Amino acid sequence: MSDSVKALYEERLKRYQAAIALAPTDRIPIAPGSNYFAEVYSGFNHQEYMYDASKWIEADRKFIEDFPETDVLRTTRVWGPIQDILGFNTYKLPGRDLPPNVQFQFIEGERMKPEEYDILIRNPAEFIFEYYLPRVFDVLKDRTSARSYVAFLKAGMAQMYWNNMLKARAEFLQNEMGMPMATMGLVLSPFDALADGLRGLRGIMIDVHRRPEKIQEACEALVPELVNSVLGAADPLRRYPIFMPLHRGCYPFLSPKQFEELYWPPLKKVVQMLIDAGYTVRAYLEGNWGPNWHHWRELPKGKVLLDIDGPGDIVKAKEDLGGYQCIAGGLTDSDLTVGTPEHVREKVKFLCETVGKDGGYIISGGCNIPYDTKPENYRAMIDAIMEYGRYGDKTEYEVQINPNPPEGWQPPKGHVLTPWEVKKEEIGEIMGDEDLIKAAWEMFERMAFNWTFGWIL
Amino acid sequence: MAELTALAKALVELDEEQVMELVKQKLDAGEPAMNIIKECNEGMAGIGKRFEDGVYFLSELIFSAEILQNVMAELEPHLKESDQKAESRGIVVLGTVKGDIHDIGKNIVATLLTGAGFEVVDLGVDVPTEAFVEKVKETGAKVLGMSALLSFTYPEMKTVIDALKDAGIRDKVTVIIGGAPCNEQVREFVGADYYAIDAVTGVNISKQVYG
Repeated sequence: MSDSVKALYEERLKRYQAAIALAPTDRIPIAPGSNYFAEVYSGFNHQEYMYDASKWIEADRKFIEDFPETDVLRTTRVWGPIQDILGFNTYKLPGRDLPPNVQFQFIEGERMKPEEYDILIRNPAEFIFEYYLPRVFDVLKDRTSARSYVAFLKAGMAQMYWNNMLKARAEFLQNEMGMPMATMGLVLSPFDALADGLRGLRGIMIDVHRRPEKIQEACEALVPELVNSVLGAADPLRRYPIFMPLHRGCYPFLSPKQFEELYWPPLKKVVQMLIDAGYTVRAYLEGNWGPNWHHWRELPKGKVLLDIDGPGDIVKAKEDLGGYQCIAGGLTDSDLTVGTPEHVREKVKFLCETVGKDGGYIISGGCNIPYDTKPENYRAMIDAIMEYGRYGDKTEYEVQINPNPPEGWQPPKGHVLTPWEVKKEEIGEIMGDEDLIKAAWEMFERMAFNWTFGWIL
Repeated sequence: MAELTALAKALVELDEEQVMELVKQKLDAGEPAMNIIKECNEGMAGIGKRFEDGVYFLSELIFSAEILQNVMAELEPHLKESDQKAESRGIVVLGTVKGDIHDIGKNIVATLLTGAGFEVVDLGVDVPTEAFVEKVKETGAKVLGMSALLSFTYPEMKTVIDALKDAGIRDKVTVIIGGAPCNEQVREFVGADYYAIDAVTGVNISKQVYG
């Protein structure tokens, strides 16, 4: 990495980290999380982007060259090939079952029956393997077939290929372009994990009325599993926040009472555990969280970056959260896709003078920069920040890079499919050093569990 | 509004057991299915009112739709052919626009509209432009509701409205758009008559149109 690229990387990362920590910065960071626009700006269609990972580096380079004021880019996305290998059936993908230029979409459905709550609560690992995966992986329709075994082998290989791609891309972005990541690792709130992938929206909303205590128990059971699973994917150097897209906590899905009893306590627990492990969190508050977002004040200050979506009132968000947590957002999907550059400029000026005037603010769209953003609108956003979003000449902040968790930290106790004790019994008397065998066994067992668990997210 | 019946009240309170019990009693007593539906519709209107007042949320709307569905399943064998379309307040055509497969919001709107006495023609999701235009023409509906969850559908909604113009029926139908990425700016861009911020607002606009 050349010195100038290194300096650029540090300047961007410092600006981003300082804003999250509520420390002063030289200007308002331009740090959208889910920057869909960046992926398609260079002219690739959605299918090319989702299937051919070699397109990314090219796309990233073009985007950064044209919009170098952008401070971060996102890490990962839905990837088609591994889904095809397993016959993963919860998404429609561009070019496969949608036209090549339409964005991927989640298929709502009930993938856990109400009577299965107790199984999930007793042992999430068993539930995922025995009940959930056979419903979402078409290759498991016949679990004894050669194809199903080979599919899992291929999926493991594809995952390694994919991880290498992501690593290569992250290194390219850091070393060649001086670009940090917006987030690394993704985890859902326990309620959303249950609501999105397992019970489905209709199912969960019925459960809220028929069996709320089961929701509470299931969320509680999911907490350690979600935490362990994302810690396996988060930035080992703790530079970047962990991404939490939050779905059903918005108004008006749940009443404030339902939110306080069912949604918030397990979510707060997960976030606190990630903070305890030395991380920050970037939570994407989808929809209007207005009546509920004050709860984020209960967590340690400056540890959570909150993306405010279009339907939420960002001015109100600043009033409620200013001094507690950093917020991002301000432009709606429609501002960026059907608005004019003049309109964007005026709005960003307004944002700089209000929500941005004393820091703790990052310019972004409503949780994302949409695919159909007009390039001239993205440019207008940047130019307006450069003109109205400046606080000083330099960011005085020490960049945070921590390879180790805080002292005394222990991972939460979670499940795996085949614990060491089971394997040990199979081996019988161990002739040499048990710890050597055990450490490797547990590492791969944990990796495998994290991987399978990831499919409910 | 007149005092609610016991059945309507039980539905408003989301007392599932009580609702099913009362429906069974009424059927046993020989009460016509249409009367029972009428009581349930009054209950659904009460639920819509509570949503409007900020007492109920989507979880209550979705749960009430579930209870209503169970009631309808119970009533099904007792309904006569002639009962089906009695006393419709008017026709509303609904659909999620092309390219978008989200249907939760649209389904809630459909339930509330039906509860309010409208005949709902639900075209489903990923609805092509021609299907919207054809259905409005065929039914003579005065209200068309388009739902969208993804912002790339703005041009699709505009295409539908342009097609209504080309077909010469734009001034005969009130177009309402709804869904998370919609707002007044989007309404203006696509050329719709109204943007409904939630399901109840959509129902109220439909009531205005049909008077």
